Amino acid sequence: MLIEQSAYANRWRAVSPAAKGGFALGGLLAAFVANTPTAAAGIALVVVATTLLGARVSPWLYLRVAAPATAFLAVSSLSLMFSISLDASGGPQWQFAPDAVSRIATVASRSLASLAALLFLVLTTPLRDLIVLLRQLRVPEVILDLMVLCYRMLFVLSEAMHDMLTAQAARLGHASARRSLHSLGLLAANLVVQVWQRAQALATAALARNGCGSLRFLSPAFAHARRDTLIAAAASLALIALAGSLDR
Amino acid sequence: MHIMEGFLPVEHAVGWTLASAPFVVWSVRAVRARLDEYPEQRMLLGVAAAFALVLSALKLPSVTGSCSHPTGIGLGALLFGPAAMVLVGLVVLVFQALLLAHGGLTTLGANVFSMAIVGSFVAAGVFRASRTFRLSLATSVFLAACLGDLATYVTTSVQLAWAFPDPAGGFVASMAKFAGIFALTQIPLAITEGLLTVLVVNALIRFNADEMKHLPLFLTRGARA
Repeated sequence: MLIEQSAYANRWRAVSPAAKGGFALGGLLAAFVANTPTAAAGIALVVVATTLLGARVSPWLYLRVAAPATAFLAVSSLSLMFSISLDASGGPQWQFAPDAVSRIATVASRSLASLAALLFLVLTTPLRDLIVLLRQLRVPEVILDLMVLCYRMLFVLSEAMHDMLTAQAARLGHASARRSLHSLGLLAANLVVQVWQRAQALATAALARNGCGSLRFLSPAFAHARRDTLIAAAASLALIALAGSLDR
Repeated sequence: MHIMEGFLPVEHAVGWTLASAPFVVWSVRAVRARLDEYPEQRMLLGVAAAFALVLSALKLPSVTGSCSHPTGIGLGALLFGPAAMVLVGLVVLVFQALLLAHGGLTTLGANVFSMAIVGSFVAAGVFRASRTFRLSLATSVFLAACLGDLATYVTTSVQLAWAFPDPAGGFVASMAKFAGIFALTQIPLAITEGLLTVLVVNALIRFNADEMKHLPLFLTRGARA
């Protein structure tokens, strides 16, 4: 998982998640405040530069993480580029949409600016810290419990899946598309069985330690949390002001 | 197929979030009540969310050669019921946004609506209806997973078409464009996911009949092993 690698290894790993979340929120707001493509592109540029230069996220990794979302953007822009109408005989008629360029520029620049804000947050902050932030924001305990469990089991299950895929491939289980589908069916079924067994084991382990309510962990402490949050708030306001001023 | 971060205009992003909110609140309450009765299911739902995420990393052999992955929502809706799946789907979508940059935070409401709400209700509804019409278990499971997937894809196309109507043809033309362009990957994917879900359920009934007895949907009509 590329995002996890960067979240744990970047320069701003120890900065309080509230500060980083605040700056990402500022970026998202600025992306929507920006009325012109130039303004949104300016915001995207500033946020990307902050991520690459400030948090020292590797540019190569950044591009690889952003690639799938930009592919979605490209495909959707394609459909915005053309317009269908009915001609005199009632058949569909394709033509270039009259305002296509300005429309695509608006949507693409806003999407890229928002994507940059999301990537800033996830590439600098491990999920564990984000869950702490969500707890501070009073997200219901049930949702947090599911997130904590999901995060802990994710890597266990994906290793089990990887092992099964290797074992199946070693026995020519993926030699043809038909066999592959059959093997994947068996794999998913095996994994579902594991879901039950592992959940049962976790429940027994929790019961053995008198755990019968929600799961609680010590929250990590962040040095200079207040100072960093103030700086992030100021930076967010500056971003929003920049989005507003680039409009004119 | 999830809508990327920032793609929807602000009023649509807010609107879909408001539309999804009551379902999420309802699901949180339903899950809370279920956990009060069966505390051991806390772990099960958490592990199930991880399972759906891991499953979405699987690459299916697809006709068009595109990378398509199963959503696992159909299977989840059959195993745990739509009330729990809305919440599990929400957690899965948040993780996909935060760990894979797939989907996004501003489009979370729209994506929850199309995948976790419409997808799981359609899958569970189709399964119930098929069993009422006495279709075989395999056919019912296939229809549920396949139509659940298709409903998600159609809802996403509606969301995109509504946000970006065609300048000449309006909503309908735009819907045709978005649905057409994504049909290439989504229709083979829905069929594959349907087949895959049948294989999974068959294997589960063969090897795990005991666990299957406690599941909401299978309880009602009684799956035959």
